[in-house]
Amino acid sequence: MQPIVLTIQKQEIAKWLEKLLETGEVIAPGAGHCGDVIFSTISSPAQVLWDFENPLHPPKQFVLPQTDPIVAIKRNGQGHEVEPIYDDTRRFLFNVRSCDVKGIAFLTRMHEMEPADASYLRRANSLTVISLTCSAPCPLGFCVCSDSGPFLSGGYDIQLTDLGENYLVEVGTEKGEAAVSNAANLFRTATEGEVSLRKRLETAARNRFGQETCHFASAMRRISTGRVEDALWEKISDWCLECGGCSLICPTCYCFSVKDRVRDGDWIRCRTWDSCQYAAFTLEASGHNPREHRKERMKRRFFHKVSAQYYVRDGTVGCVGCGRCIKVCLGTAHMPAVVGAIRKGKWHE
Amino acid sequence: MSIPSDMLTIPTTCPFCACGCGFYLLANKGELVGVAPSETHPVSRGRLCARGWAAHEAPLWGSRLREPLVKRNGTLESVSWAEALDHVTGRIKDLIDAGKSIGVLGSPRATNEENYLAGKLARAGFQTNNVDFSYHSICRPLIAGLEEVTGEYACSISLNDIESSETILLIEGNLAKTHPRAAFSVMKAVETGARLITIGYTRTQMASLSSLCLQTAPGGEGEVINGLLAGVLHLGLEDRISVAGHCEGYDALRRDVGAVKMTEEMQRAAEWIARAKRASLLMAPTSGQGDQPRKDAAAFATLAAITGHLNRPGSGLLLLLGRSNVRGACDMGVAPDRLPGYQPFYDGRSQQRLQDLWGKKLPSARGLDAESFLQSVSGLIVLADDPPSVLPMGQRAMAAMERMESLVVLDAFVTPTVGAAHAVLPIASFAETEGTLTSMEGRVQRVRATTDPPGEARPGWQVLAELCARFDVRVSFSSATDVLREIAQAAPRYARIGQRMLDEGWGGTLAEDSARGKFVLHATGVAALTSAERPQVLARDGAFDWGRDPLVSFSPTLSRDYQSQRKLFPNGFVEMCKQDADELGVRAGWQVKLTSVHGDAVVPIQVRTDLKPGVLLVPYAFRDHVANVLCTDSVTAVKVEQA
Repeated sequence: MQPIVLTIQKQEIAKWLEKLLETGEVIAPGAGHCGDVIFSTISSPAQVLWDFENPLHPPKQFVLPQTDPIVAIKRNGQGHEVEPIYDDTRRFLFNVRSCDVKGIAFLTRMHEMEPADASYLRRANSLTVISLTCSAPCPLGFCVCSDSGPFLSGGYDIQLTDLGENYLVEVGTEKGEAAVSNAANLFRTATEGEVSLRKRLETAARNRFGQETCHFASAMRRISTGRVEDALWEKISDWCLECGGCSLICPTCYCFSVKDRVRDGDWIRCRTWDSCQYAAFTLEASGHNPREHRKERMKRRFFHKVSAQYYVRDGTVGCVGCGRCIKVCLGTAHMPAVVGAIRKGKWHE
Repeated sequence: MSIPSDMLTIPTTCPFCACGCGFYLLANKGELVGVAPSETHPVSRGRLCARGWAAHEAPLWGSRLREPLVKRNGTLESVSWAEALDHVTGRIKDLIDAGKSIGVLGSPRATNEENYLAGKLARAGFQTNNVDFSYHSICRPLIAGLEEVTGEYACSISLNDIESSETILLIEGNLAKTHPRAAFSVMKAVETGARLITIGYTRTQMASLSSLCLQTAPGGEGEVINGLLAGVLHLGLEDRISVAGHCEGYDALRRDVGAVKMTEEMQRAAEWIARAKRASLLMAPTSGQGDQPRKDAAAFATLAAITGHLNRPGSGLLLLLGRSNVRGACDMGVAPDRLPGYQPFYDGRSQQRLQDLWGKKLPSARGLDAESFLQSVSGLIVLADDPPSVLPMGQRAMAAMERMESLVVLDAFVTPTVGAAHAVLPIASFAETEGTLTSMEGRVQRVRATTDPPGEARPGWQVLAELCARFDVRVSFSSATDVLREIAQAAPRYARIGQRMLDEGWGGTLAEDSARGKFVLHATGVAALTSAERPQVLARDGAFDWGRDPLVSFSPTLSRDYQSQRKLFPNGFVEMCKQDADELGVRAGWQVKLTSVHGDAVVPIQVRTDLKPGVLLVPYAFRDHVANVLCTDSVTAVKVEQA
């Protein structure tokens, strides 16, 4: 669709949120315990944070929950009845950052690939993503390195930019259009001045990223041509405590396990988050494990994330530069550190 | 079928190891769905280990106890709460009236409130000091050794302190696996240039990061600690102010280590420890016969004392306790010889305080430890403990429980102990109850109810308070907070933890008494285990089997490795080095016969590359397969033959 660019006065935002609350669940970053910022379902516009650091726990849980019931299996005489479980609650994901918009778009592209994942898509299609651009880099973010921020040119349903008195409202999809149309009186078409201010803000934000970048290109060359020595993987993997946090927290990771829950004599088949860094992830029924050692699992993870093979298939590296793995790594083997090590062929030297 | 959401995000404390991490449990429509990390939690700071990330799984997927059960005609039948409580009260009263003894097991998997009430039930209700927890048998020597030297059983540093250490001395029990959060602190320190010295018998992950790995045989840790003590004294690097002002027994120590064998590596390590402005000394339970582990711990604390690290803020010693609330269970007096506050049971002031508080006279006879009283009591109340899975002699514990006249189990999960129970009282898991846990560094933190307990299960503190009332013990609690208020009176240190810290913050730390008394110095004795006739040793590897803990065994994600290992090796195995296997003419999977002074056993072997010749290890999970050989020892000399 043709992009629509609107503005809304800051004081009118609450009214818009009230309207959205009437039509579905609104999820936004809010205050957690002791100053934490967490995505949660809100009941009032006042709960939404506007000046915040991106929550550590990503919003991917709203398209791909950690425990996701997908099929109900019931006894029926001698046989069984199988009924898919869908979650198509209408949801608005508000004030999500550019990196996370890219993450959700990445996941949706993966789940659209044949065979398409109906459970995922029903939930994702019911979700309207309303993002808030970043006027400054977050302390550990490197989204500029993977074209995932600080502003986006697509992938969002609606993109908000703080212009001071107003928010610029870029509507990118029909879902986005629907979210503004039921409060149409709150919005007006943006002026040329406002659109060019947004461009200036984007340039300013990009310029504020320092030298702290993640050099995917040179790492990709090395990893795709087998020029990373096993000894290096072994060294890096000594600094990984196999917590799995990097993959659980990653906006683009979707590895899962399947497990049945018994409930009242029937079964609920659930998809659950899993991590390729867990030893038992590739454990086979025979007891054989093709990736028994940490170094093999680590090599596999980064091959999937930054090799040319996957770049060609996915059109991007498997990283949105959100920097969460730096915060969550229970070791020192997070994305920028490992990419740096691959590029230099050295680790902690 | 469609599911609208109703998300809840509840801050709580990790129930696994004793590091004391915090996170949010996520629930949707009254069911747990996941875990979210917290950036503001002072210990975990946004980081969790694999166990923490899967903390929601066991309460959600596990075999849960949903209704009270009473054994009739050999099978457990569901009954009402009133019936179950009447049954339990009647049976235990009958046993007491018949002059038979009763025991109570608390648990490092239960909250402080539950443990406190379990202790109160035993002492005030049953008039017995037979109260303990199974894991205590593993960590008691560590705690006792530290107490012998410092007069304190509490550790002197926090996990965050480790990160700014210049030198770290680690007695390995595979820290990366047992305490991943602590391992992270060690890694952070090493990354910024700290020197890590490990003492252990295998090439662990931490050993591969170390500047110096002092490899020893199982049970040989003491020899190395003695060597380090000798190194410090030989080089004249003891902290003179500490030694002169705070230490007793210095001359005796000099004499004791005078003839100790000391390698060049030990001297180098001793120098690093003594010269560091900030050092962290971390100790996991060690193996050894008889009193050896306690003596090793005392020598370890002595090393910290003479190098001055016990007197410096941010420098000091940390005992690596295996289970989340070991410290809390000790603090609540879940020990035969300790009252709340870990005060000796004969301490007059503590006795008086408790008698005033409880309105009951305390039992005067010394109690037995868990391993012993399991063999002698007729009635047993088990709170969230599972002796066959935890105690070193698991099978013997199981047999003892099967002999009980009345076995009452309070648990959230179906454990092997539940299978032997005469009455089962279902209680809420950590995800469904209110209470506090105390981490190994002394942080008291809340667990919060995220969902309702399943079926008719009730919060453990309520059930224990009801049992107390039925045994004429004064209780008037309307919440877990009320129990904590009483705890603050029974164990005054807990009075320093304000309710606001617990409710609005992430909890508080039990302040240590700043004026430390004298340190009493000890070297450890070194017993020769092997002889020419029996040149090899067999040792239990590890001090706890997470694979049989319900929080792991019921988690689909966490149980995979453990289950697979048990399926692949139904007869267990012992590990030996390649050289030994070649000399014996055996290969992986072949059987060997092990003979010790206690008895013999035939087990398959596995070969590993990082063991010294002459050392055989049996994983803690498979210890029962060589129970005849090890008996009560954690390490013993064996003869190995092809079977």
